[in-house]
Amino acid sequence: MQGAERMAAPAVHPAETLLDVRNVTLTYRTGRQIVTAVRGLDLGVAQGERLVVIGPSGCGKSSLLKAVGGFIRPTAGTILLEDRKVERPGPDRMMVFQEFDQLLPWKTVLGNVVFPLVASRRFPRAAAKEQALRVLTLVGLEKFMHAFPHTLSGGMKQRVAIARALAMEPRLLLMDEPFAALDALNRRRMQDEVLRLWQELHFTLLFITHSIEEAILLGSRIVVMSPHPGRIIADISHDGSPSPALTRRLHHLLTEGGEDARATAS
Amino acid sequence: MLAPQPLDPTAELRPAPVRDDPDAQDLPLWRRVLEVPLVRRLAILAVLASLWQAYAMFKGNALILPSFLDVADAFFTALGDGRIPAAVATSLQVLVIGYALGVAAALVLTTLAITTRLGRDLLATLTAMFNPLPAVALLPLAFLWFGLGQPSLIFVIIHSVLWPVALSTLTGFTTVGETMRMAAVNVDLRGPRLVVLVLIPAAFPQILSGLRIGWAFAWRTLIAAELVFGVTSSSGGLGWFIFENRNRLETDLVFAGLVTVILIGLVVDAILFRLIERATVQKWGMQR
Repeated sequence: MQGAERMAAPAVHPAETLLDVRNVTLTYRTGRQIVTAVRGLDLGVAQGERLVVIGPSGCGKSSLLKAVGGFIRPTAGTILLEDRKVERPGPDRMMVFQEFDQLLPWKTVLGNVVFPLVASRRFPRAAAKEQALRVLTLVGLEKFMHAFPHTLSGGMKQRVAIARALAMEPRLLLMDEPFAALDALNRRRMQDEVLRLWQELHFTLLFITHSIEEAILLGSRIVVMSPHPGRIIADISHDGSPSPALTRRLHHLLTEGGEDARATAS
Repeated sequence: MLAPQPLDPTAELRPAPVRDDPDAQDLPLWRRVLEVPLVRRLAILAVLASLWQAYAMFKGNALILPSFLDVADAFFTALGDGRIPAAVATSLQVLVIGYALGVAAALVLTTLAITTRLGRDLLATLTAMFNPLPAVALLPLAFLWFGLGQPSLIFVIIHSVLWPVALSTLTGFTTVGETMRMAAVNVDLRGPRLVVLVLIPAAFPQILSGLRIGWAFAWRTLIAAELVFGVTSSSGGLGWFIFENRNRLETDLVFAGLVTVILIGLVVDAILFRLIERATVQKWGMQR
């Protein structure tokens, strides 16, 4: 019913692998303990794919995204982006975070989009401004380019963050539950916005969520993770149309399925 | 395929503006005037000045307590004949040099502190040791090392500015959100560029309050140092102006000097720092 008024998200034909996560194990320290967030994980992401990773909290999905972003180093395994090893954060993988404080409060909307372009030395100042204006127009924020972030609503702030990431023309767009802090209505608007932008730009998206609805809506492929330690329990190609069967399957995987898989794994 | 349509971001939920109540009445004029804080404060000052004037006239001893009008007269005379401006210029010159050097040193120390663990330990130890030490207590040593003159005063001012500014700047740096840091590192910002382009503006509310405290310390320290050690160069500063006029038993000029100290403190804190605050952290919504 709702599906009729929403844009159909086209499926992506398998293309060359852009991101290759090979046998990656991620650990972190809490006090005196070493916790394994992700163990022996393999994942390939194709060019132009919208890959949504879904899982309960503690399944290591955020750690995985941070590792792809280069913010944490795998304790084992390698992450390859276009056959080059990911060693550190870089502007070829732009992150969009959940928190609103990812924007710089002392810069205007335009300044926030221009800043990374210039700071990363990818664009000279004049070209950066042009690029920023183009992307801001794309997300419908050109009228607000001189506003400071604190005057914007949550949804608009996330829109600026997305514009900032897209302006960098990254090889891979990384989103870590970017709409979790928004109210339901704005969340829906932003999800549509992401699909609309994807239709226009065909970027490659790695999107983390814990919402089944969001995963089905946004993903051209959905990967389900289960905790303790984090690993993949399902990898589902998806044409973007909402289906009750898929919802049921994901729901099952996220509740009982995870438990079953853990029992057999240990 | 659907043509992509930009969504209107202004259509997001916003509270409806509060309408003016047509039945609301204006307050009477005198009530509205009293709503202005400056008016209330000036009224208090006027009352205090009258009390002072009355008491001084009752006492009739200008050597111990000159009247308000005597002091006002002495103030404007000394202002007009250039004695106060010269003293202020001397004081402010030393102050600005010491303040700038102190802030620069604080910046270097805090940058070290956030980039290396050794730097952090160093700063923590030094601030713990020197922050409780009143700068004036270092004056005898300063004179021993640098002789009577500007360098000694600058030395104690640096001491009075450095630690509070370093402490609040470090607090500011450490409270910069992890997300903002990651967003900056994401676009290859590291080292000094990260500090200058992201950390300093992000920590600006704390840095500004540190600068304010540093200014207050430096101003007090300077006046006290000039008072304690009298003239330190060919022309004396405000502290020296007060000290000298006490020796000459020109008490009204002593008061005039004190008034000048208060006025400068007030102008810098209530006007200069307020303006900076309004143009930065308030405009950016980082402080209400």
